[in-house]
Parts: sequence; structure tokens; C-alpha cells
Amino acid sequence: MSEKYVYWFEELGQDHHNLAGKKCANLGEMAKLGLPVPPGFGLTVKAYEDFLAKTNAIQEIRNYFQGFHGSIDSIDQFNESSSEIRKIVESKAMPKGMGSMILLFYDDLCRKCNVDEVAVAIRSSGPVSHPGQYETYLNVKGKQDLLVKIIQVWASSFNPRSLAFRSRKGIPLESDPIGVAVLKMVNARAAGVVFTADPNTGDRSKMILEANWGLGESVVSGELMPDTYFVDKESLQIRERKLGTKQKYVTFKAVGVSEEETPPDKRSSFCLKDEEVAEVGRLAVTLEKHFGVPQDAEWAIDEDFPFPKNVILLQTRSAVIAQKKSAVDQVVDLMIKRL
Amino acid sequence: MLLPAYDLSFYEFDEENDPKTYGVLLCDLVHGKPPLKPLYIGIGWYWYYHGFRNAPEILCLPTTHGWDSRFIHGYPYITTIKTTEAEATEREPIFREKIRPFLEDFDGIWNLRKTELLRIYKEAKESRGLKAWEDIRKLSNIDLLSFFLDFTFIINRKEAETHMIMMTASYYISGLLQELWREIFGTEAPIDPDFNKIMAGYESQDIKVVRGLWRLGRRAVELGVQDVFETFDDEGVINELGKTKAGAQWLSEYNEFLLEHGWRCERMHAYDTPAWIEKPSLGINRIKMLMAKDVFPMDVEKVRVIEERKKTEIEVLAKVPEGQRDAFKVLMGAAQKSGFWSEDHTYFCDFYIGAIGRWIVTEYGRRFAEAGCIDDPEDIHFLHANEIRKAAIPMGRVNLRHYVERRKREWEESLKIDPKPFYGDISHAQSVLRSDPTLSVSTQVPIVREELKADLYGAAAAPGVTEGVARVIMGADKLAEIKPGEILVAPGTSAAWTVAFSIVKGLITDGGGALSHPVIMARENGIPCVAGCLEATAKIKTGQRVRVDGNRGVVYILNK
Repeated sequence: MSEKYVYWFEELGQDHHNLAGKKCANLGEMAKLGLPVPPGFGLTVKAYEDFLAKTNAIQEIRNYFQGFHGSIDSIDQFNESSSEIRKIVESKAMPKGMGSMILLFYDDLCRKCNVDEVAVAIRSSGPVSHPGQYETYLNVKGKQDLLVKIIQVWASSFNPRSLAFRSRKGIPLESDPIGVAVLKMVNARAAGVVFTADPNTGDRSKMILEANWGLGESVVSGELMPDTYFVDKESLQIRERKLGTKQKYVTFKAVGVSEEETPPDKRSSFCLKDEEVAEVGRLAVTLEKHFGVPQDAEWAIDEDFPFPKNVILLQTRSAVIAQKKSAVDQVVDLMIKRL
Repeated sequence: MLLPAYDLSFYEFDEENDPKTYGVLLCDLVHGKPPLKPLYIGIGWYWYYHGFRNAPEILCLPTTHGWDSRFIHGYPYITTIKTTEAEATEREPIFREKIRPFLEDFDGIWNLRKTELLRIYKEAKESRGLKAWEDIRKLSNIDLLSFFLDFTFIINRKEAETHMIMMTASYYISGLLQELWREIFGTEAPIDPDFNKIMAGYESQDIKVVRGLWRLGRRAVELGVQDVFETFDDEGVINELGKTKAGAQWLSEYNEFLLEHGWRCERMHAYDTPAWIEKPSLGINRIKMLMAKDVFPMDVEKVRVIEERKKTEIEVLAKVPEGQRDAFKVLMGAAQKSGFWSEDHTYFCDFYIGAIGRWIVTEYGRRFAEAGCIDDPEDIHFLHANEIRKAAIPMGRVNLRHYVERRKREWEESLKIDPKPFYGDISHAQSVLRSDPTLSVSTQVPIVREELKADLYGAAAAPGVTEGVARVIMGADKLAEIKPGEILVAPGTSAAWTVAFSIVKGLITDGGGALSHPVIMARENGIPCVAGCLEATAKIKTGQRVRVDGNRGVVYILNK
């Protein structure tokens, strides 16, 4: 029997971190809980390994490193190696069996969504999360492009920052098997992140939401000032809100996405309704309760659905938060700040 | 050009360069007026200024290396030695570790340190076989010299270093609380009644001493000798009591009390006023004021004050935003302890060390005058430690008069002038004061609010409002003039004045901030006080009716 490389999210769950990576496993877990996540499927880690093996890419990569004299430890070397290896990976065609299995799922997804060539987001899903390390492709449409972009996500495990990361951690450079998540694109009016604790102080009594118009990428990248909401975890009331400058936002093109200047009227207004803030908060609390630790989740408001169905979760992970500082340390901090 | 400073080169002011280096130097009117005499400037004050450099380095304060100081025309001027940005970055992590224990257990640190200080003082006396004031006369010249050098270079250093480390920590803690207070409640803490309420109800050593005096007063009633106190002046009381058996009994009990607690001079920060143990009549007027009360007045207030404090703590904390509440609570606790320290330390620091200094230098004054080195025992206050050492052995061979003469001339000149409030560019004052909050111990500024149309604005206050007849008193030796129910108007108050707090109805002072004696003691006694008005004693005349509004920190003169 041939290897099963693709699973619906509903088939995955918390136990499948190693099978299809954390993102897929967590999306699966959320889907099982009945939480609103976009429909989609995940490619296993084994798909990555077999792709490299069956196309002989892995041998070429090994040859490349063996032929490399001296150690790889400078930025120039990482850049150079990366571009060489990505060329190797991206020049390979998707093996037949694997490709048809993926396309079978894509066809099903199109049918479920009632669209001919449904737009999808293709994201990496490592068994160990390396946020922001690998590439994501948004608003991908059609079978051909789907397969190309999946290979590009795999190839992104050889981008310079990943090579540098593996080199620093002493992990073999020759590969870093990851899963891939393929999700239906959300037609996002606004999107952002939610932390179920204050990541700076460790205060767990409140949640912090950051939001911008359009797709969530602008918030995740941290390059602009989003709208910020502090939400009480018990009452889901907004304790405080700060209007962000939101200079830019990310929006759809026919294919792919682009970053645009935010029109002035949108900059000066909050991008979420209070009921949407509360709904994001409610979902986030559910996530935290289920996973047992503070969560760092991404969400979007889908223009195609009415409230509350328009609030969609895109991913969640355990939040990296500061240990709650002792009161004495907080006082010392204040003293330093005001000196 | 360098201005002379009683031959103490490190205090000489460089008119051209110092203002350039420091921006501004501010006059310490709180301690420097009337002008200190050279001997004290060279010993006690020398070590205090050392303490203000030592503490910032020990605690690794990020913004300052501590005070620098000059004496200009006989008056002390202070400024801060700012750190560079690179130094500040380097010092910050160490400061974090150093300030921590003070936030966690201010009391614990102080208890260890004050016990240590008392041990040092007692050992210095006992190891030389000294107990009573006259005992020092028995010391040989070499033993007296070794005591003097020990006092000058070791005991003083220890006291000053302890004193200023505690004071610096205390100011940082209290200063931060006042800043958060302004941010959260929108009021200036030193004149906010709630702030005063949470700081009240801690019994300092000074209050314990006054309770001892009250007890002695009650003891006089028990022994049936109270009429002596009512009939004779303070000196007369001592003489008269010696004549009866009951009186002698009382005197011996009083003497025991003074051997323990009489190590305090009439004026702090000088060796030129007598100590209680030297002149027992100094305590008598305090006892006279207290002996009529059958309960110690502060004990009456204490219960109410503590209850009110606890109630106010809860109210205040409830108003603090939740995220800040834990930190605020820790800070408030530490600030309460550092406010208590502010009152408690005087006994163990300023008073005791000043009295031991007085003891030794008075004996030198006597020996030098007798041996013909100086004309008058009081001339000792115009000498420096090196000169005392030079003339101490062999006694009587060195003529010290020319030192005395020119320094006395210099000092008398300074008496005639009004010191300039600052040298340099006053626009630097804010940044100087900001980088070293301890400077405010010597530089309080009234919080002026024109809309209140008051005659005087305070820098700090104790809550309550009262009206009454003003009594202007310029020194603790004049306290007996106060009639019960009057409002005391004074340049400032120290522990020597504490006794007056139980008979006056309100208090107004020229000097003092949130951690000053008048504010703290008024609070403990439940009387309104407005401190730091700068010109209260100049504007108010004895007999005028005044309103003291301690809730808002202002004073109104009702019949101008």
C-alpha cells in the first residue's frame, strides 16, 4: 500500500506533531473541537523526505555540502549555499503518486467550497515550530501553481536564515523535514493575533489583541502599529484600546497578495467591532482552556460570513510569555524607568 | 580663582570652572544656616558628604556618583556628579540587585545597622572606662587623642556611610511612590491627606524617648515632687530636687535615663550646643510640659492613627489599577518603612554621633584653654582635626590662636551675609535634582497653587485643618514659651522639639519635605502641619490668628 501523504485537518490532532507538523496538528485539534478554522489539508513530514529522496535531490544536496571546503558560517556562505540548494529543490518535479494524491484533496476542497479553483494559503508546518523561518504563499489558485508552491515551501527550509539556524544549533544542514498546511484563503476584512496573557509582564488576567485591516501578515511581521485591545479574560470586556497608525495593510491581488498604503479614513478608525473583539477573546479563552497554557493565536474576520461565523482561527501555539515578574522586580523596573 | 573655605581645600569653590562642570550648585539652607563652624565642617559634615558619595557608589545608582559640595562664603552648596550614559547602562543591573533587599526588608536592614551603631558607640565608651559625661576628664592625653582620632576617622565614617546608604534607599523608594501617586491619583503625595494617613502610626525611637520623659514626669508626681517643677526654672529644679530624699531619688532615676538616652545636643549638625547628658536641665522643660497628662498623649492618638492607616491602605489599594496593584503594595510597604526610618534614625545617627563629638571636643577646648593653646574653650570650634592632633601631645607647647583668629573672622563675615541661593545656571536645577533625589533633603520647594489664594504654600503637610494663635519659636531652647493650644511656627523641627507636639494644635515650618520631622511627628500626634513654606517665620508674627490647612498644604493669616 502506498504511503498516505495527505490528511484532512479533521483527521489530525494533538498527537500528530511528528506526522504533519505542529501547525497542521493544531489546526486539526481546533477543527475537532468544533472551532471555526478554514477547511484544508496537511502534507506529512514524510512527503518532504520522500520528495527529496525520490527526486534524488537529497543526494545532490549531500554532494554539494561534501564538495564544499571549509565550514559554512558566514552570511555570504549561507546566502550562496541557500541559492544553490533551492535551485536543486525547485528544479524537481513533484513525483507522480504524491502529486495526484495532493490534487485529489485539492479537488475535494474546491468541491467543498463550491469554487472551481479555490484560493488557498500554503504554510510550513514544522514538528518543532520556527515561527517566521520558512515561507508562506497566500492566495494560490489552481493545481499547477499549488504543486509549485508546495515545493517552494519545502525549498524554503534551505533559506539562509534556516541554514544559519541549523548551523548554530548543530543540526545537520542537509535537510529539515517539515509538513505543509493548505488552507482555504479567508476573505479577510481585518485580521491579527491574540495573546491570552501579557507576553511582557506575564499577567494572565487579560488578553492582548493586535489587529489591522486586510490579511494578518501585516500584524505578524510587526512592522507597523496595529490597533491594540486589552481584554479582560473573565468578562471579555475591553479594558483599554489603542488606535494604531496602521500605515499599510495586506490585500489580495488576482493571484497572490500585495502591501498597500492604508487610506486615511481606515487609519483613523478601529478595524474591529467590539462584538468581534469579544468573539476573538472567547475563542482564545477556549483555546487556552483546552491546551492548558497561554496561547498565541492568529485569526481573521471573513467578509463572506455574518457575525459570529465571520471570526475564523488560522492557527494557535503555546505563547512565549515572560515569567510573571515578582512585585519587587516590577518596582525595581519602575525605579529604573523613572530615574 | 579658588575661594577660601577654612583651609579645607576640597571645599574651595572654583568660580570659573565649577559652574561649568556642574551646571548649577544649590545652597543647602536647611543645614547651612546659621553657618556651621569649621571644626564641624571638617569632621561631622566631612563624613556626611563622604556618605553622599559612598552610598551612590555602593548602591550603584545609575544616574549619579553622588553629591559634590563646596563651601562658599561659609555656606554649603551641593550639586550632583552625573554619570555618563555608558556608565548608567553598566550600573543599572547592579543597582537592581542592590536596591532589592531594601524593598524586601527595609526594617530588617535598619535593625541590624542601628544595633551595630549602638554597639560601636558603647564599645568606644566602655573600652575606655567611660560612662558619665565627666568621666572623659580622667583620660590621659594620649587616650583622649586616640579616642578623638577613633571618633574622627572610624566611628564617624561608619555612622555616615550607614546613614546615607539608608537615606538614599529611603529617598528612592519614597520618591517613586510619590511619583506613582501623582500618576494614579493626580495629587501631590506630600500634601494629600490619604498619603499622610498611610504613612502614620509607626513608633520611632524618638517617641519612645519622649514616652520615657513623660514617665519621669509621672514618677515626679508619684514621689510628690511635682511642685518643684511648677515653682522653679529648669536649672532650679535640678538644684532643688537635690535637697530632698524623694528629689534625689527622682534625680538618680533621671540620671539613669540620661546615661542611656541623653546623647543628643540641642542643635544637630554642630558641636557647639550642649548635650542633655552634659546639661540635665535641658530635659526638664520637656518633662514639665508632659507631667500633667495622666496618659501619654501619643498613645491616645496611636490607636486611632493605626486604625485609620489600615483603613486608608485598603481604600488606596482598591483605587490602584489591577495590573499595578501588587507592585504598588510592595512599594507602599517599603515607603512606610523608609518613612519610619526617616524619623527613627536621628537618635542612632545624627544625635548620638553629634553628642560624642561634642563630648570630646568640649574636653579638648577645656584642656587647650587651660594649657594656654587657645584663649577660650569655645575657640575649639575654629580648629581642624590635624591641629588638635598637633597640639594634643605634648599638651601646651603649640599656640593655636592664629588658626582660631582667621577662621573666626571668616565665620563672622559669613554671619553677616545672606547666601546666594545658587551659583551657575539655575535652569540646570531640575535635571540636577532629578538625577539625584537625595538632594531634596536639603532643597524643598513649596507647591504654589495660586487658585487657593493662601498666604503660604507648603512642600509637604500632615492632614487636618485648625485655626488658632500663632507662636513663633526660633530655637528648641525657647519651647517653654509655648502655651497649650497655640499654633507653633518654626524654622524647622528636630527630635529636640518633639515634646512640643503634644501641646500645640497645629504646626507651620519654613523647611521640611514629606520625610521631614515636622510632618512625620505632626501625623503621629494627629495635628495638622504645613511644612516647607520657606518664609513662615518671616511672614507670621506671634499672636496672629492663622489657619493651618494640612489637607491642602496651605496656610492663611487671618488678621494681617
